[in-house]
Amino acid sequence: MLSLGSGGPKPAKPSFVSYVTPGEINSEKDSSKKVEHLDLLPGEVVFCSATPVLRYTQDDLSQRGVFGTLLCTNFRVSFISDESPQEEVAQHFKNRLYGENDIPLSCVDQIYGVYDEKKKLITGGQVKNKYPSKIIFHCRDLRVFQFCLTYAKEEDGRRIFQGVVRHCLEPKSLKCVFAFSYSVPAKPVLQENQRTVMFESLEDWHQEMRRTKGDCKPIRDNEAFEISHRLPKYFIVPAAVETEDLSKCEGKGIPIWCWSHHSGCALFKMASVPLGQEDTMSQSHMERMLHAVAQNYLYSVKTEDLTETLPTLQDIQQSYNKFKQFFLIDNTMDFWLSDVKWFSSLENSGWLDMIRQCLRKAMEVVECLEKENTNVLIMEEGGSDLCCVVSSLVQIMLDPYFRTMVGFQSLVQKEWVSGCHQFLDRSNHLHQKEKECQSPVFLLFLECVWQLVQQHSPAFQFSETYLTVLSDSIHVPIFSTFLFNSAHHKASVLQAESPRSQNEVLTCPPVWDWSVQFDCKAQDFFINPLYAEKNKPDKTQRKTHKPKHQRQLSLPSSAFKTPPKKGFFKEETESLKKMLRMRRVSRWLVSPDSPQASTREFYESWQRKPLDYHGVLLPCLDGPAMRVWMQRYLRWIPELQIFGGGAIAVTNRLAELQGEVVQLRRELDRQGRRENKPDNHRPLALSRSSVRLSSSFPFASNRNWSFKPVIPNSRLHSIDVTDNLANQEDEATEAFTVV
Amino acid sequence: MLTGSKTTFKVRQMVPDIKERMLSHSGVHARGREMFGLCCLPGECVLQRAVLVRKKLSAREGGGWLSGTLFCTHFRVAFVPQDSPKPDDNADPVLLGDHDVALASIEKVVAVGPSRTKLVTPNSSLKFTPEELVLYCRDLRVLCFLFDRLTPDTQAIEITYTIAKTYQPLKPGTLFSFQNAALGSIEMKQFLSNRRRDPNMNWFECPADWEQELERTGATGWRVSSVNDRFEMSTSLSRFNVVPQKVLDTELKKTFAHFNEGRIPRWCWRHPRGSDLLRMASFQNNIYHEKDDIRNLELVLFGGQQVCVVVDLGEEMPSPADIQLAHTRLRALCLGDISASVTVPDDKWLSTLEGTHWLDYTRCCLRKAAEVACLLRGGHLTVALQEPEDRDMNCVVSSLVQVMCDPHSRTVAGFQSLVQKEWVMAGHRFLSRINYHRDSDKEEAPVFLLFLDCVWQLWDQYPGRFQLTGDYLLALHDSVHIPLFSSFLANCQRERCRRSQHLPQSYTPINGLREMLPRGASDDPTDPPFPPVWDWALQYSSQRQARFTQPVSQPICSQPLLNGNLNTNLDPNQYGDGVPGSVFLLSRGTFSSPSNLLPWRSAGSSASYRKSHRRAPSSESLPGLERLIKACSLTEPPQNTNTAFHDPHEPLLPLLLGPCVRVWKDCYLRGALHAQAFSHPMSSITQHPVEQLACEVQQLREKLAQVSIVRPANAAKRQESHRPEANLNQNANNETFLFASSRAAQQHHASNRATAHPSALTKTPHPTPATSRSSNRDNNKHTFLFGHQSEGRHVPTRNAKLPKNN
Repeated sequence: MLSLGSGGPKPAKPSFVSYVTPGEINSEKDSSKKVEHLDLLPGEVVFCSATPVLRYTQDDLSQRGVFGTLLCTNFRVSFISDESPQEEVAQHFKNRLYGENDIPLSCVDQIYGVYDEKKKLITGGQVKNKYPSKIIFHCRDLRVFQFCLTYAKEEDGRRIFQGVVRHCLEPKSLKCVFAFSYSVPAKPVLQENQRTVMFESLEDWHQEMRRTKGDCKPIRDNEAFEISHRLPKYFIVPAAVETEDLSKCEGKGIPIWCWSHHSGCALFKMASVPLGQEDTMSQSHMERMLHAVAQNYLYSVKTEDLTETLPTLQDIQQSYNKFKQFFLIDNTMDFWLSDVKWFSSLENSGWLDMIRQCLRKAMEVVECLEKENTNVLIMEEGGSDLCCVVSSLVQIMLDPYFRTMVGFQSLVQKEWVSGCHQFLDRSNHLHQKEKECQSPVFLLFLECVWQLVQQHSPAFQFSETYLTVLSDSIHVPIFSTFLFNSAHHKASVLQAESPRSQNEVLTCPPVWDWSVQFDCKAQDFFINPLYAEKNKPDKTQRKTHKPKHQRQLSLPSSAFKTPPKKGFFKEETESLKKMLRMRRVSRWLVSPDSPQASTREFYESWQRKPLDYHGVLLPCLDGPAMRVWMQRYLRWIPELQIFGGGAIAVTNRLAELQGEVVQLRRELDRQGRRENKPDNHRPLALSRSSVRLSSSFPFASNRNWSFKPVIPNSRLHSIDVTDNLANQEDEATEAFTVV
Repeated sequence: MLTGSKTTFKVRQMVPDIKERMLSHSGVHARGREMFGLCCLPGECVLQRAVLVRKKLSAREGGGWLSGTLFCTHFRVAFVPQDSPKPDDNADPVLLGDHDVALASIEKVVAVGPSRTKLVTPNSSLKFTPEELVLYCRDLRVLCFLFDRLTPDTQAIEITYTIAKTYQPLKPGTLFSFQNAALGSIEMKQFLSNRRRDPNMNWFECPADWEQELERTGATGWRVSSVNDRFEMSTSLSRFNVVPQKVLDTELKKTFAHFNEGRIPRWCWRHPRGSDLLRMASFQNNIYHEKDDIRNLELVLFGGQQVCVVVDLGEEMPSPADIQLAHTRLRALCLGDISASVTVPDDKWLSTLEGTHWLDYTRCCLRKAAEVACLLRGGHLTVALQEPEDRDMNCVVSSLVQVMCDPHSRTVAGFQSLVQKEWVMAGHRFLSRINYHRDSDKEEAPVFLLFLDCVWQLWDQYPGRFQLTGDYLLALHDSVHIPLFSSFLANCQRERCRRSQHLPQSYTPINGLREMLPRGASDDPTDPPFPPVWDWALQYSSQRQARFTQPVSQPICSQPLLNGNLNTNLDPNQYGDGVPGSVFLLSRGTFSSPSNLLPWRSAGSSASYRKSHRRAPSSESLPGLERLIKACSLTEPPQNTNTAFHDPHEPLLPLLLGPCVRVWKDCYLRGALHAQAFSHPMSSITQHPVEQLACEVQQLREKLAQVSIVRPANAAKRQESHRPEANLNQNANNETFLFASSRAAQQHHASNRATAHPSALTKTPHPTPATSRSSNRDNNKHTFLFGHQSEGRHVPTRNAKLPKNN
């Protein structure tokens, strides 16, 4: 009945339901009456359902739960409680697309089945007829769901299990992704001044270059993707790059302009060309390209191959897998267990260290741009993973525009979407078997940004919540932003998928259209109430801040005085050739002792200056400074919610005060005085509600409020550290053996 | 010679006699005098100074550098910025300026030369001119001074030497030079003796203080006993102790022998639900129990309740040695000492932190306190904290319990009273634990700092429910390391009394007149009058003191009724029974009733005593008690969140899982110069946004008041709505500190929209008593006793659209 695998039989008529066999559609009919609670999205179809299903509350030991119906649609796995939905006041932050009991299909990370009390990981291929008594979902947004299937009819149970497994785990083709069946009327375009720059037209690029005062050459030769499929339609290269150079290495080896520093030097990224020993052709190409980059400003360039100095994609994936396990807990016992060795296990996962490495690398680039005013070229094999991370971080650190919400969104468009980051492969929406491509690179970037936000929150217009929501949205298969591997991929897929009427191309909303997911009130949570807005316009500020650069005053030859320990390309072709021959192209981190020390020095000298939230922003990278993104990772764990406390309490108070200020001003105005101060504070929505907030607000809802063992009692004590105070060294190992 | 880097200076060995090396002595002026721009304390002398020195500012201070002059007196290392405003001659001297550090809190002096760093000890010689002077302090600060090229080399060297020689006592056990020379001086003595005492806090020095506390908490059945007035019963206990009313002093005297060091069960606090918190030392087991004794012992222990739970703190809690070890490790990790070449790599920081176990110990204390807090919530039982000596962990846990449960102790005055009650008066061995004299290394353990860390964790998790701030905790943390305060300079009240016998027992100024007699002026100079630590004006400028409390003014909201009769299900007549019942032991989170818990019950001769009574309930109530603790943890969510007003006595239960317990970075990491960036730079100039907004609100309100002054008034509405605001500063018993003012604001708006008349407002009589400082004590009493009569207490019913978090 079910077609397994992507090679299953396909019905003649190609449509979005092609993946569903008629049998499944029929089975949906008889359960339709139970589905009435579910508000289906336009284009959403229910595949199968089972009732009654027991959803356990997170405290596994109590075995308590709620009965309801489990459904699987082409968008989500959904649970509808039999109990009348209690009207919650705390629903400020309702997602319009999916509720708190829904899991979008691509948000499912892993499924476990419990067979005879044994927990087994379910993988795509091996769906047996025997279905488990309990099914456990681990979601990519760190939620955990447990459903008991034993109460449902056997047939229903099997069907739902198989349906869920097939739709969540098995490979599928892109056109089965819900975005292609989701049809909403096109939204009116946002106001021009609030618009996120999409970098899909040449004008956008021009505008960005004007903004940063860059002096590079826009290229429009790739409009039909003749040069490369891995490049956007329009991009910008150094002015010295000749047009014939572009098509030499199949789109690789082209330095692409990212951002210009106000001094004139710029940041470029590039997909590296494999340099063979005797491959003179590519060597000379590289040479020319370096030349071109160097000519951009004062004949200096530093290059860095990120593949060699940053962790590989697999490392990142493995590290994240380890890291997320701390938060995907089936029951509260797990957490108490892992708690004993919390810090060292956190450290062992290495995730925080990856964040640190990325930030450090970005800081090194910032140092080159800001302090030494050299052009920087970062390279990577594909040029679209860690290059994106580093270049975006550099721009956030250097350019206050990218710390606003619109600026940040434009940055993601520029570096990630137009930069052809392979979102589809990296997030593995299609459940491909070979998982080498899968890697949470974008999440890593968001983590880095979060660290910056955490350390310098007044500098950012957006809040932590915004980042959390953005990281969740990666796994909502609706947004064009995260669905494609490149501009070419997007264009071709959209072209192929909308043949019905030739003049109308299928549109998916970008994730930046937040109204798709949240209403205006909820969107207020994205704004950081502490944002230190700038009074002066950008340009004047910048000029006063950095009046003149040494480099601008000095002769070009002074550029060669930079210390030779750092691989440094000079104007002379001879030395360049020599360096190339020595295969030390482009490494500025040759000596192991220098980089960290010099970065630290740079950081300290930065620190000595008074902090300007609209100037350069550097992160602190010390051990205690790297922190866990509590809101993202801990928000669903009831044990970790502080009621009436946490940072939200302060934010809340702030919002209240701001509201008060606004109100008082209005009152003053009403009193007839001529004082008309501009009202630039925006009161948050939460200031008017009267709920006692938990620290994981706005994500935690009432569902997690009960069963909260604040104090570990007897059984937990046996594993706790306080037991073994005397023998401190090996206490943890003992503690574990006790359990 | 500007670049004397290669020259070796032979510096003569300094004679330790200070008088000889003094540059100046600030002589006879009572209020001190200016010396090279430094405002000296009376009797203080400048030993050395260096000009053109720059001080590295931490991010908290705004970052960057400040140039000025560096002084070393025999009390402090002082730094005077170049263009600092002239100190007001009439102002009282502040012991430590904003940039100063007391010599006694310096732990290490490191000189950084052009190519090397050297730890400077009193006996070492310096072979280079220091370019940088780094002072590592005991309170985990690091001060960094840079000598300019124009600083005379001799000055740079001399001041380094001088600091290195004077910061440590010459030999263990001797007092510091300043205490001898300056505090002993007549001027300073007069000045210190004339200090006013903070009338807002409870000092627990006389029976009236204790009675006030009994009244405040609504405890009945207890009395203040002065049987230990001359420390004859127990040397380490305070003079006055609270014991059950039913036990006469003569009977009480016999019980002392049954407890270690005579530390009998004493009442500390009553939970609003009627449970009492007691603390005691371990039982003396080898004493024969007479029947009369037994009755008294049980009475003292049960205090009129039927059930008693003994919480044993000896076993599960870290020992002082553990705490000391953990603290040493934590310091090593956080300071990132440049003289020690071993540094922890960033990626190993977390596991090293785990290896210190400091956070484990904070968790352990908080957990124990949370358990006790839940237990007390059950109502009508006695919880007795027991520790072999009753002088370390009992202090930690009993005070933590009160911080969690009693909103009063989250105010500055309340917290100070709490420390006074549970630490200073209860005989925590501050002197030995802090080890000022560096002579009792074995005894040294920062138990009090552990407690402060615990409080900080609570504050960090519930910032909105404290009136005091992190800055306050930090200030208290720092002053522990200055050996000047009577609170910390003795091990028990007896020692403290001995030292200051010439002082009146409790000095109360009359009408603000300083009618201090010059008596005792001829006292032994080694016996200077030490001020209590709570005299913050001595230590900190008013600017810094202003940051001790939440910036937002706090109006009165629903006052907690601490009359001990909240939600009482049991019949109060049961008190009359007076026959103590069953006793349980809470250990490792479970209850048991071991037969040998109370030694007199297990003793063979008296085993028959109330045997039948004991057996029966013990088996039944065991699960009941367990349920009690659990029930507290299974707090039901408020069903109707609109009207739900959380119980003000609901304890602040801290979250103790790994991710929730954090490093007190403002304290431990401020020294690590490289780690300072991630605290927002908050100098006195740049305010925290909350503060700024609060100021703005205040200004706008004032403006509004001015504007609306011309409008006609509506008196009836005004009176009701303005009242909360009129009491902005009387915040002793607020349950919610941050969030409360908005209600006042809203009401204020309401009033203003109704075109109120503020000038009339101020005249309207308040239902609550006046808030003058001197009458504050009585005031509190009133609000507690008759608080329910004031209509303001029933805020929730009045306004359904209140802001949340109340």
